[in-house]
Amino acid sequence: MGIIASAEELERYREKLAAEAKPDLPTVLVCFGTGCQANGSRPVAEAFAGIIREQGLELDVNIGIKTTGCHGYCENGPLVALKPQGILYLKVKPEDVAEIVEETVKGGRVVERLAYQDKATSETIAQYSEIPFYKHQHRIALRNIGAIDPTDIDDYILAGGYAGLAKALGMEPDDIITEIERSGLRGRGGGGFPAGTKWRSCVAVKSDTRYVMCNGDEGDPGAFMDRSIMEGDPHSVIEGMIIGAFAVGAHQGYIYVRDEYPLAVKNLGSAIEAARSRGLLGDNILGSGFSFDIKISRGGGAFVCGESSALMRSVEGNVGEPRAKYIRSVERGLYDRPTVLNNVETWANVPEIMVKGADWYAALGTEKSKGTKVFSLVGKVNNTGLVEVPMGISIRELVEKIGGGIQGGKKFKAVQTGGPSGGCIPERLSDLPVDFDSLTEAGSMMGSGGIIVMDEETCMVDVARYFINFLVDESCGKCTPCRDGLPRMLDVLTAITEGRGREEDVALLEELCDLLTWGALCGLGTSAANPVLSTIRYFRDEYDAHIKEKRCPAGVCKALITYSIDAEACTGCMLCSKECPQGCITGERKKAHVIDAERCIRCGVCKDVCRYDAVRIS
Amino acid sequence: MEKISVIIDGKTLEAARDRCVLDVARENGIYIPSLCYNPEVKSSGGSCRVCLVEAHQRGRMRMVTACNYPIREGLEIKTDTPLVHRIRRGVLELLISRVPDSEAVRDMAAKEGLTETRFRKDEGENNRYKCIACALCTNVCAEVVGVHAIAMENRGADKQPATPYHKPSDVCIGCGACAYACPTGAITMKEKDGVRRIWQKDFKMVACSVCGTPYIPEAQVDWIVKKTGKDRSFFDKCPDHR
Amino acid sequence: MIEAEKIDSIIDRYERSEECLLAILQDFQREFHYVPEEGMRRLSEVMGVPESKIYAMGTFYKALSLTPRGKHIIKVCTGTACHLKGAPQILETLERELGVKRNGTTADGEFTVECVNCVGACAMAPVTMVDEKYHGQTRPSKVMDIVKKQVEG
Repeated sequence: MGIIASAEELERYREKLAAEAKPDLPTVLVCFGTGCQANGSRPVAEAFAGIIREQGLELDVNIGIKTTGCHGYCENGPLVALKPQGILYLKVKPEDVAEIVEETVKGGRVVERLAYQDKATSETIAQYSEIPFYKHQHRIALRNIGAIDPTDIDDYILAGGYAGLAKALGMEPDDIITEIERSGLRGRGGGGFPAGTKWRSCVAVKSDTRYVMCNGDEGDPGAFMDRSIMEGDPHSVIEGMIIGAFAVGAHQGYIYVRDEYPLAVKNLGSAIEAARSRGLLGDNILGSGFSFDIKISRGGGAFVCGESSALMRSVEGNVGEPRAKYIRSVERGLYDRPTVLNNVETWANVPEIMVKGADWYAALGTEKSKGTKVFSLVGKVNNTGLVEVPMGISIRELVEKIGGGIQGGKKFKAVQTGGPSGGCIPERLSDLPVDFDSLTEAGSMMGSGGIIVMDEETCMVDVARYFINFLVDESCGKCTPCRDGLPRMLDVLTAITEGRGREEDVALLEELCDLLTWGALCGLGTSAANPVLSTIRYFRDEYDAHIKEKRCPAGVCKALITYSIDAEACTGCMLCSKECPQGCITGERKKAHVIDAERCIRCGVCKDVCRYDAVRIS
Repeated sequence: MEKISVIIDGKTLEAARDRCVLDVARENGIYIPSLCYNPEVKSSGGSCRVCLVEAHQRGRMRMVTACNYPIREGLEIKTDTPLVHRIRRGVLELLISRVPDSEAVRDMAAKEGLTETRFRKDEGENNRYKCIACALCTNVCAEVVGVHAIAMENRGADKQPATPYHKPSDVCIGCGACAYACPTGAITMKEKDGVRRIWQKDFKMVACSVCGTPYIPEAQVDWIVKKTGKDRSFFDKCPDHR
Repeated sequence: MIEAEKIDSIIDRYERSEECLLAILQDFQREFHYVPEEGMRRLSEVMGVPESKIYAMGTFYKALSLTPRGKHIIKVCTGTACHLKGAPQILETLERELGVKRNGTTADGEFTVECVNCVGACAMAPVTMVDEKYHGQTRPSKVMDIVKKQVEG
């Protein structure tokens, strides 16, 4: 199949693919996202291929195999889905494959031990759509991920891909912008700026050349939704960008992908090639006369390059240093030309909005935060992974209903949202809705959607110190408040966690926060105050305990805790004394062991290896 | 260049659109301190944050660096408010911490009544040798001189100007523009016996045929001659005796 | 010995555009385990870009190293989820057992231990990568075994 020369031809091609598709063909979908691959999904896929050969089954006649992008339920991988039943199996090993083929593919029966077990009800749920983690989701940006092979453009077209583009090319560019404005789509990368308004501002600037760009830098630690979209459904981003380019009159686009995502770079690259070969990128797209192409630009390990002006400098071939944004990028951006930069998830929503309409999208979510959002729910929660839900869901629902509550039955303490630019929201406020504005009022921000769940064993002062340490590493160094202020903030926070905190330290931190907020050059600096101020606001008692009592209530700060062995629980198995790197645990076989607190370096290995939970931290 | 109105500290002034607040303020006798900005160097500014002032526009207030904030319609600037002084003192306190030996920083801080810092000073092994990482030197070398001998290496607090690998540069012409431009005098340039030493490289100087003073590196003459085609003999005499 | 032909062949993979500078530097990093001075110089020559600018990029981006890294690269993810789930202990274990500080290389040139600010596999925290292979739910007591097994296996 070569160039598709018109919108009509695309539809005919889609119909042809539909006619050839075998919806009843038992198909095995093996997740090839980075997470599942790390857990060994490749050998699982190979095992399926092996069984097919062994049993003389015919591919695409008796059985289909597909490798897909990230389902989002990574801790439970390798994930294998089965069509047409819509079953999901968790933690699949190569040894399980023969049974799956026999029981499920051939026999239509469920292999119970591989299906989801509800921890609360002990119910086994085999249906993908009934598993609580997926049941409450409304997948728009993630619509295809897990169902299609991201390296096969036909899969994307069969699923309805490029229909949004075909429709857009038949519209007036101005009307496309109006449609995006009416949908209420706001930037999904953290800024939350109305996408339609951004596009319109770009068009208002006179220029022969303009650019559209995709921010795939996803620097917030704890966030991996963009990775999942770029790996699992690269065409959704490409299609969105072509539509945006047509709307604003750009002929060149760039996707900036962080260096740490090699699979995303690979899959985007092959998707771009495939789109070109079908005439969906390049000259005269779908015979419309509109030409547009995309280049991929790789990051180099710099969080600050997620900031729009730093990103553009990096793409141009420079160090990623931001500039003062007194003149916006839509006016003077890449190469000083009008540029529309949007996040991966934002672009991924655009094709669906074109196909289903602005009203459909605006019916979801809240009054000021329309549509759905992909969240990465990670940390001390039972069901960790990516979830897409309508905006306005409460933090509590996310953590308890979808997340399945806190791991190990511990107490839910707080969530951290918005990455290093965000803050902590305590459990008592977890009925707050998650949307662009509510969290900001509470002293955090939704950011790119990272939700880090914390329990009673998380030290909030340590969390603040962690984020400031991160920012010290990532500061570009151009402006004084960030470059020289953050390290001194880190000094104060480190002193507090090491038991050297002074009475005036909290006030000093607040002063530095104030200086950063008013005086820093870019968002990295101006929002650096959030993690510190929000923990001071909601967890002042922990700061006071560290400073006044030299005590870490959560049992984390090494200088303030002691490791000891509970003589009652200890069975004298001697495992800890063997593993202790300091050799400071003594005890005879079958007798309670003792840790020499003087020599203990609080490395945590004894607690890690103890099978009887006999190691205590106080 | 259309002229528009801007209000600075209650005074209504006329200025060309898109000129920076700092230039306009200075021309009208209003004091705003700055370190990293040089009007001759377009890529300079925005780094030291000493010139932060209040900008009131479209019903909102934010603090902006005067050295690169463009004059546009409806702008009101306040340079003398408690907030401006508080932030300026904060910035200067951090600068004192970073370069406690810098006289320029100390003088500016003294104007705000600030003589010490409560924070850790970068001293001893971590001495920054008066460098505030403002990049004026590298901007001048790239934009004005056009030689690109130095660039800002590293990121964060270790950011500093350097020649590649800290080795003597192949392209440096010894002109010293970087040293002249530096607001804190952090760049060492020494001359002795007709030889100038800068960035660990020695430059033989041309001596004036009239007064005998070595006044310009040969390498700089070579470079000017190459770029402009000027006759070499032009440089036989120093500017005082041409 | 860094061969000039190898350097040129890497540069020739890309068009002569400054947009490709970072990608070329990363290819040098992948090929030579660091960015050699000869590489930067040659790149400057071929692209007509000042050497100082390329040097600045080499020192700015953490993915690049101007000094040779170890044969095996161990990356400990220090993203927030990983931090909460014990990344500091994993890092300390590696530092202790291998006798290096973070971002350092062992004296025999075998191992480099680095911190990465999030590899995007947060649901499997804490994550440790050994030579680009991901390991999820790493435990301090098991991490050295993982390293040994992969390196020997």
